[in-house]
Amino acid sequence: MAKVRVKYFGRVRELFSVKEEEYEVEDSSLEDLLLKHIPSRHERTAREWRKIMFPAEGGTSKIGSSTLGGNYLIFVNGEPRDIKYKLKDGDIVAILPPVGGG
Amino acid sequence: MRIKISEKLDDLNALLSEIKRSSSEVGAVTIFVGSARGIGNNGGRVLRLEYEAYEEAAVKALERIIEDLKGKYGIIDAIVEHRTGEVGVGEDIVYALVASKHREEGFKSIVELIERLKREVPIWKKEITDKGSRWIENL
Repeated sequence: MAKVRVKYFGRVRELFSVKEEEYEVEDSSLEDLLLKHIPSRHERTAREWRKIMFPAEGGTSKIGSSTLGGNYLIFVNGEPRDIKYKLKDGDIVAILPPVGGG
Repeated sequence: MRIKISEKLDDLNALLSEIKRSSSEVGAVTIFVGSARGIGNNGGRVLRLEYEAYEEAAVKALERIIEDLKGKYGIIDAIVEHRTGEVGVGEDIVYALVASKHREEGFKSIVELIERLKREVPIWKKEITDKGSRWIENL
């Protein structure tokens, strides 16, 4: 079992009304986290979440075939990672919407 | 090099003095000041902007950009400060200062620094206007 912390920013933080939360996952990839664990905790906003994260699939992406929405990035421990990344105990995952600074 | 992501910007004159002192080789300081416009992207009257940042990653990204500019243009030093939280119309949002030997590398570097800041640094902006609010994406 791996305990991971997930941080949300911008429109995603607003969607879930939470800045960060913890998940306990077993033998899971980032893709599992994005498509299974997070939406099952946020049922009310799960459809909107999938639309934002996987717009090419119209929000109906299945695990194993998902393509992350354009300009969204997932960082793990401060570094960008592919969604096939295998989660480890203590990982800090950050969901980064397209940036808008300056 | 100094990077600050915070609710308050330091005094610009103090930052200018600081970067001029960074080396006796400094012959030019190029400064960019970004401030909040009164008209939003949707044409509405801006009531306020709200900025949030993934601070650790934003600092790392800016450090990487400044290191790249040192390698590419040979600039001497840079300071970048960016606001978070609520920003009112007319208030300053970002200060970027580049110290170089000559103006040419300063001009090129400041343009690249700000363009990359807008594309690569994890900072988000929400624009709240009298016609509604939306997250602004620098695509």
